[in-house]
Amino acid sequence: MPIENLLERQNPDGGWPYSHGGSWTEPTVYAILASLAAGERDAADRGMRWIVSARRPDGGWAPCGGVDQSTWVTGLVALLPPERLGRPYYEEAVRWLLRTTGEESAFSYRLREFLLGNSPPPEQKFPGWPWVPGAAAWVGPTSIAILALRQAARRGASPPLQKRLEAGRGFLLAHMCRDGGWNHGSVRPLGYESNPYPETTGMALAALAGTKSPEVDRALTVARQFLAECRSADALNWLRLGLMAHGQLPADYCAPTVTYRTTPETALGLLVAQKDNPLLGAIPAGERG
Amino acid sequence: MSTPHPITRREWLTAPAAAGAALLAGCNHAVAIRPASVSITRAAAYGQGLYDTVRHILEQHRLDVRGRRVLLKPNLVEFEPGSSINTHPLLVHAAMEAFRALGAAEVRIAEGPGHRRNTLDLAEAAGYFQTVPRFEDSFVDLNVDEVSLVRPERTFSRLEKLYLPNSALGADLLVSMPKMKTHHWVGATLSMKNLFGLVPSGIYGWPKNVLHWAGISECIADLHAAFPRQFALVDGIVGMEGNGPIQGTPKPAGVLVAGRDRVAVDATCCRIMRIDPYRIRYLQLATRDSQESILEGNIRQVGERIADVATRFQLPPDFQDL
Repeated sequence: MPIENLLERQNPDGGWPYSHGGSWTEPTVYAILASLAAGERDAADRGMRWIVSARRPDGGWAPCGGVDQSTWVTGLVALLPPERLGRPYYEEAVRWLLRTTGEESAFSYRLREFLLGNSPPPEQKFPGWPWVPGAAAWVGPTSIAILALRQAARRGASPPLQKRLEAGRGFLLAHMCRDGGWNHGSVRPLGYESNPYPETTGMALAALAGTKSPEVDRALTVARQFLAECRSADALNWLRLGLMAHGQLPADYCAPTVTYRTTPETALGLLVAQKDNPLLGAIPAGERG
Repeated sequence: MSTPHPITRREWLTAPAAAGAALLAGCNHAVAIRPASVSITRAAAYGQGLYDTVRHILEQHRLDVRGRRVLLKPNLVEFEPGSSINTHPLLVHAAMEAFRALGAAEVRIAEGPGHRRNTLDLAEAAGYFQTVPRFEDSFVDLNVDEVSLVRPERTFSRLEKLYLPNSALGADLLVSMPKMKTHHWVGATLSMKNLFGLVPSGIYGWPKNVLHWAGISECIADLHAAFPRQFALVDGIVGMEGNGPIQGTPKPAGVLVAGRDRVAVDATCCRIMRIDPYRIRYLQLATRDSQESILEGNIRQVGERIADVATRFQLPPDFQDL
């Protein structure tokens, strides 16, 4: 897949749309990373200027222009190289992530549950990250935050950062489906077992790089099954990343022909083809499985 | 003989709220209103006959869409071809053709799935690409559509504002096309609950958990109030019973239920499913002042009679008393 497929989608303001229309943070971050990996520095710089201009006063990022709340996409921005984003902005993004948790981990919520006589379920022991502050933590945003904070830890670890990373991994392991893999994060709603999704299984496995456990092995088995059956570009991208993070993507793997419809799909498709892609780049080879 | 149990913290905290709700319930009063027209049409299967059937339904309701922008909102949830989770694409295409035949300037299909991020892949798996010619040209992924900030005039939930997709806000007629299903959180998911798909996951995430924290039934009522220009066409040809809206089992009901008054349509669907509509909280909220459109006597039934098509839907365990 040529990088031109991505570059031709770039908006005049420097950002990227999901497929067409205005610029959004998520596609812009992935497109910048893919542009940098392909040596397209001009496109990446223009994208980075859009990202910087979209920064919010609280140090986070909104999903798109006109939205007045910082959300999970701040974790995506923290995947960008700090020297290009600007170190102060990068550090603020990391701080935003460190102070953000799912609402079920907030003191006020836990107090209310205690007063109502409710014991927290085991999976609520570990704080993860929400899509939007004020709601519960989920697998997708938690995986992205872990990928970002792991890179931040390589640049300079701190006890709070390590603590959130460990808790985030605990969150993912506690939210795994019974037979392995992850859906968006509902393990047993109303007592019914949930089924895993390929894309979230790949995301969580990428976030759990370096974690070795029977649960991860079970998830890897599920991911390999999904990889053989799945025909969604988004899902295949994340499954490949997840398996690569554990050294489990077969060396002779040949991706099936799928339609890359959106900017994130196209950009991630380019990134997973990289030998050392920036999403997993900070993981030493020895930790990958 | 049962023994008295000690009062828990929960009971201490919830008792005043329960007493207040009981007092409010006693304040309901009848209001004279114009009956809402709801049609029930038999449709045994998803076949070519649907094109004529849907055209006939729209003619019954005398919808004037000449020169108007119509947005069809099916229910697309999961990748499971052959299941009864998603609104059948043939019904959606039949509606598209029927609205075009009535002179609509534009008919588009739009959805913002709340579980899966890859909307077009989901539509492809559900058969939309095969059934609707040039599907991508007429489809809007509401999860990543341009948005506007909306502050509903009447709010039932804790949400004071909501970003909503411009394609839905700008439509002259929003056509809610849900699947007739039971739902493990709210009892039944019909034309009003289907509006959750208007809330953009690109802003709120997958799932749209903000709506859960603000109260699911309350948010349904908020969305109902935020989109007044609607028509409902419910796919009850094969619905879902049991642990809906995803893990239930197919339930053939063989009907299409339609009307402009979504509360009346959903109340009628409930009666077809043998569910008491007064027990569905979002229906109560949406008609808080009068409950006019829930009352069977206030609904002018067109076509089949409820008694002739009603079929009991197995309910999720928490809703056995509905």
